[in-house]
Amino acid sequence: MTSASAVRSRQTIRFRGVSFVAFVLAPTPPVDDWLDELDRWRTSSPDFFVHRPTILDLSRLPLPTAEITQLSNRLAERGIRIIGLDGVEAHQLDPSLPPLLKGGRPIAPPAANYVSLAQPSGGAAPAAPPPRNEPTSLLIETPIRSGQSVSFPYGDITVLGSVSSGAELVAAGSIHVYGALRGRAMAGAMGNGKARIYCTRYEAELIAIDGYYRTAEDMAPELRGKAVQCWLDDRALQITALS
Amino acid sequence: MNVFNLFRRRATASVARERLQILLAHERSAGGQPELLAVLREEILAVIAKHVSVDADGVVMRMDRGAKVSTLEIEVELPNEASKLKAAG
Amino acid sequence: MAKVLVVTSGKGGVGKTTTTAALGAALAQTGKRVAVVDFDVGLRNLDLIMGAERRVVFDLISVVQGTAKLSQALIRDKRIETLYLLPASQTRDKDALTETGVGDIIRELRGKFDWVICDSPAGIERGATLAMRFADAAIIVTNPEVSSVRDSDRIIGLLDSKTEVAEKGGRVDKHILITRYDPQRAARGEMLSIDDVLDILSTPLLGVIPESQEVLRASNIGQPVTVSDSMSAPGRAYLDAAMRLTGQDVPMTIPMERRGFFDKLFGRKAA
Repeated sequence: MTSASAVRSRQTIRFRGVSFVAFVLAPTPPVDDWLDELDRWRTSSPDFFVHRPTILDLSRLPLPTAEITQLSNRLAERGIRIIGLDGVEAHQLDPSLPPLLKGGRPIAPPAANYVSLAQPSGGAAPAAPPPRNEPTSLLIETPIRSGQSVSFPYGDITVLGSVSSGAELVAAGSIHVYGALRGRAMAGAMGNGKARIYCTRYEAELIAIDGYYRTAEDMAPELRGKAVQCWLDDRALQITALS
Repeated sequence: MNVFNLFRRRATASVARERLQILLAHERSAGGQPELLAVLREEILAVIAKHVSVDADGVVMRMDRGAKVSTLEIEVELPNEASKLKAAG
Repeated sequence: MAKVLVVTSGKGGVGKTTTTAALGAALAQTGKRVAVVDFDVGLRNLDLIMGAERRVVFDLISVVQGTAKLSQALIRDKRIETLYLLPASQTRDKDALTETGVGDIIRELRGKFDWVICDSPAGIERGATLAMRFADAAIIVTNPEVSSVRDSDRIIGLLDSKTEVAEKGGRVDKHILITRYDPQRAARGEMLSIDDVLDILSTPLLGVIPESQEVLRASNIGQPVTVSDSMSAPGRAYLDAAMRLTGQDVPMTIPMERRGFFDKLFGRKAA
């Protein structure tokens, strides 16, 4: 029996587990070209990687340890913080590098500011995922304003209204915009190459399906302002007018 | 559109200049004492309160800053009832 | 039933303060009791445009901090007796303006006035978010120019999420006021058209105010342009906009090119 006054209770260390979604960057050789492409992405979406934890997957770019460190530094210069490595062998890493994080489960990429547009009550907590067997679609009946971001990892997003420049839509399924699409639309974000993007006025800053993207720079001028559909054909984005 | 507008147009810039000169002269000198008016009001109220019961809501202060002379106007509602007047001494 | 109106834009220098003064004066001239409130923190502008700069005793932060009562801080307009101004503070820091403090003041103003017009500062920081927080309606002042339109869009998004009305599930009545519209440049395709602006912002139009010297002259002499020059193009456009705010159906006049007689004669515009 211990005397209460004499014994100091020990600090209990509590372990907690958390899970969150990280982004994966998977460079392909040659590295310099890949970095140029990354820089082009960053010019049109400068804040994309800020606050997003990023994993560097080197399975398509085998590198010796010294060069892994160099690449990690070059990414840090661009404001991209690598929190873990994948696609390398344990013996290649040294203590100065981020840890090996293998076996991540593919999931929808996190949006910049999760907005409560998806919740009818306007509450702060995200809605529980809908029951498995029902087709799900998120319908938004107001325009999406600059700075707003909508993420729906369970299905399609339909917007009755325009999506302003500076706004972002991320869907596991397809994206349908009955209005002008001037912002960013990323469909098939959970790895669904069959997702499509439809809009009645194509003026997008960026469109992406299953990670394959095209920016406004590469937009065919004859399609601008028209009703179009976008789909993926063997890893190449196709955009055609809807007539 | 009449002839006089032409003359009025030339004058507005000089009106603006004069307003700014007066205003900025006050703002620069008031830099060290932003609370002056609040302090003045409290002290004046305290002096009045020695002789008469006054409601703080019954005091209104108005200011008009001029080029050479500024006017501070303080309006105090004094009660007429004798009971509110404090005994002298 | 009092109405709280915020005049906001996101972008700076587009005409919020001019608009607050012009509309405030126009509404007060019809006999309504109007209070205009300057929500900038650290820079004071509305008092200058209203010509009250020499009479400022107490300001918004004095009232929030209890240094002065609202009735002592309000400055009555010399020309229009139902028009009052609550000036901004020039010397305090941002944190002095609290949400509860401002909420109490707005509530008190609602009890004394028919219209409470909040002049928002530029940006999306504290002064701007507090100016819109308690609003029932908003006027989003926009120049026909890309960055102004983008910033207005951002502000519209905030009006739909960061106001008390929006948080309770309601909607703030939003109106676009296009200012500094230059008909010559619009005709040459050098400036975004009114339709372009409305198409992007998807919000109803309250009015179009032409770029003009009368606005500059009005601020030079310290009078709202609806008082100094009510028959000028901007004066009339603001008067029409004020009527639309009160629910009257006034046909929209799009400013056309005009050159005054003397402009043509002397080939230049006097300031």
